Amino acid sequence: MAEVKLESVTKLYGRKKAVDGVSVTCKEGEFLSIFGPTGAGKSTILKMIAGIEEITSGTIRFNGRVVNDLPPQERNVSMAFESYNLYPHMKVYDNVAFPLRAPRWGLRLEPAEERRRVKEIADFLGIGELLERLPQHLSGGQKQRVSLARALVRRPEVYLLDEPIAHLDARLKFSTQSLLKEFASKYGSTIVYVTHDYREALALSHRIVVLRRGTIEQEGTPEEVFHTPRTDFVGRLIGEPPMNLIDGDAATRDGEAWFQVGDRFGLPIRGPRAEAMRAVTRTEQGKPVARLGIRPENIRVSRARPGPAAFQLPVYAVVQEAQSTVVTFELPGTFFYARTRQEIGSADYRVGEPLWIDLDPEKIFFFPRTVALSTKA
Amino acid sequence: MSQVELRSMWKIYPRGNVVGVKDLSFTIRNEEFLAILGPSGGGKSSTLRMLAGLEEITRGELAFDGTVVNHLGPAERNIALAFESYALYQRLSVYENIAFPLRARGMKQAAVAQKVRWIAELLDLEPLLDKYPGSLAGGQQQRVSLARAFVRQPKLTLLDEPISHMDQRLRAEVRARIRHLHEEMHNTTVYVTHDQAEAVSLCDRMVILHQAQLQQIGTVEEIWHRPANRFVASFVGEPAMNLLPARLRDRTTVVLPEVDHESALSFRGELDPGAHAEVTIGIRPQEIGVLRAAGVANTLPCIVRLLEFQGENTILTVTTDGPAQHTLKVAVAASEANAVGERVFLQVRPESIHLFEGDRPVLRRALAG
Repeated sequence: MAEVKLESVTKLYGRKKAVDGVSVTCKEGEFLSIFGPTGAGKSTILKMIAGIEEITSGTIRFNGRVVNDLPPQERNVSMAFESYNLYPHMKVYDNVAFPLRAPRWGLRLEPAEERRRVKEIADFLGIGELLERLPQHLSGGQKQRVSLARALVRRPEVYLLDEPIAHLDARLKFSTQSLLKEFASKYGSTIVYVTHDYREALALSHRIVVLRRGTIEQEGTPEEVFHTPRTDFVGRLIGEPPMNLIDGDAATRDGEAWFQVGDRFGLPIRGPRAEAMRAVTRTEQGKPVARLGIRPENIRVSRARPGPAAFQLPVYAVVQEAQSTVVTFELPGTFFYARTRQEIGSADYRVGEPLWIDLDPEKIFFFPRTVALSTKA
Repeated sequence: MSQVELRSMWKIYPRGNVVGVKDLSFTIRNEEFLAILGPSGGGKSSTLRMLAGLEEITRGELAFDGTVVNHLGPAERNIALAFESYALYQRLSVYENIAFPLRARGMKQAAVAQKVRWIAELLDLEPLLDKYPGSLAGGQQQRVSLARAFVRQPKLTLLDEPISHMDQRLRAEVRARIRHLHEEMHNTTVYVTHDQAEAVSLCDRMVILHQAQLQQIGTVEEIWHRPANRFVASFVGEPAMNLLPARLRDRTTVVLPEVDHESALSFRGELDPGAHAEVTIGIRPQEIGVLRAAGVANTLPCIVRLLEFQGENTILTVTTDGPAQHTLKVAVAASEANAVGERVFLQVRPESIHLFEGDRPVLRRALAG
């Protein structure tokens, strides 16, 4: 296993910067996720580590050794591609066994040993029954697991996995995610993992790098990224429904900091939150404005007024979940979600009914505005 | 807006004599939001296509408000279809796309304009009315498709294809919009999906299809607490219900063989008088308490093997003590901060226990609340 270190890595396609000065280290035995929306440069980073894409500038090191000029086959990595890249003329067995036969690694396995290893990883991923089939006779989900098995069959210095479970249905995705985590902890593997799915990033990783337009927006443990998002961009990328973002005026009332949203509602902001609000307040059209963030879980809704800071909005929609209910409200240009923990079947809020909304003052974030607020884009 | 009855409907495809749907009977109530849920190949698409009139009904009857519609084509049934299978007309503007179903029914120009403006406002489509579908983002196209489906009140609104492939932000928004439109319009809506979370989130009731047959129809609450069989029990809920071999000790207690000297769990509910001793116990991951000390009734001693952080929750994978080493999933609040290798005691409330004999439930449980 190896440590992978990127130092100021940049990738230009013509004049377009796909990756812009990224520095990050994936420690030996670490599960590092590169997480971000489509087009952020995630796959490009993975391909540069693999040696499939050239680096425009910067350095990549494996255990301290610069690998910039090493061709892919000289870097001891295994990669799973989102597009599977299976050999269409080979049976599943031969596809999975392929990396074991590569002369560069000189494994020279006995056929029985090769079969044992292929069978072991195939059974582990639930595709043991498919070994004699050709890729064209597989579903998308099966192909994806074959591609993953091929990447995991060998013990390279680094595993590079690009959205390896993105095309599985929900049930299989969760179970395969658990298997991947089990695999990683069993072999202490160094894994760089690309995903756009926050659930995978949170569940699997030791650390997460959040990528935005080719640059690192935040780097931290899953807990850090979830509990202390550095920007509105990171906050909104995590959670379903995502973190609510609300723009308002940063006002002062009777000497107290106040967050005012038009004539709809106002909130007193106290203690360190007031400081946080001041720090991000900007003047727009002569008015001091700030952006508030709060997760749906940290909002209480009720029919009776719960406290002086609560405000009322009419219900836009009620959506159930297994253990909770999501109540949606409409604000100018955006939706606002509150999740209440409830026994299944017990939510009876009606569309249009006014409800009281109470934000947990300890769970409020303030951010500079870096993303367009409207989801209605 | 109507009541739709499926009466012993069959779909048999002549090629290879494949049974698509077998003796399907259920009623879609007026103004109800019904989800048709099941794994692929279970009969969802055949059912949807027969409802829409895109597929002939081999045997049985389909009735809209008491009138049999078997022989009516899609247009004559007065239904609206949305999502992928009915793409937008690329050469028509957004306005014309939404107006299409109205014009097709001979609505006057002024009334069409009024209706289109009304739904466009509801879905924030006003600035897009003069644009063409090709120039719209995915989420915008989705909203145009919804507008077209909900611009009038058909007998039945059919929503095909899951929204589970959208990004998490759009998905939350589209779910809210669909639910809002359904209630505003008082439509009778059928939503077809393989994604149980999608079905749970949107529907009033759901139909579960598997192997061409109806498995259960009921509210989310009924399906969650009283699954009709083992398939339904494990299909709805994520992570899925834990199922372990168990043996009835008496009418209120089961033991788990080879789990820490036969751990005993007491259960509540009406036990089937004919139940045999060998059963399967079902426990939902969401209904398990995690204790750090022994000494409390109804617990299973376990070791934590894996932690999957989910933000608000963490999913634990644990194995039971004793030779059996069963694996269970448990959903806990993330603030619990468990650790891999830690010894824990899973606490199962007597009212949270399901029992099955083969595929069949043998414990009738009370509905919560």
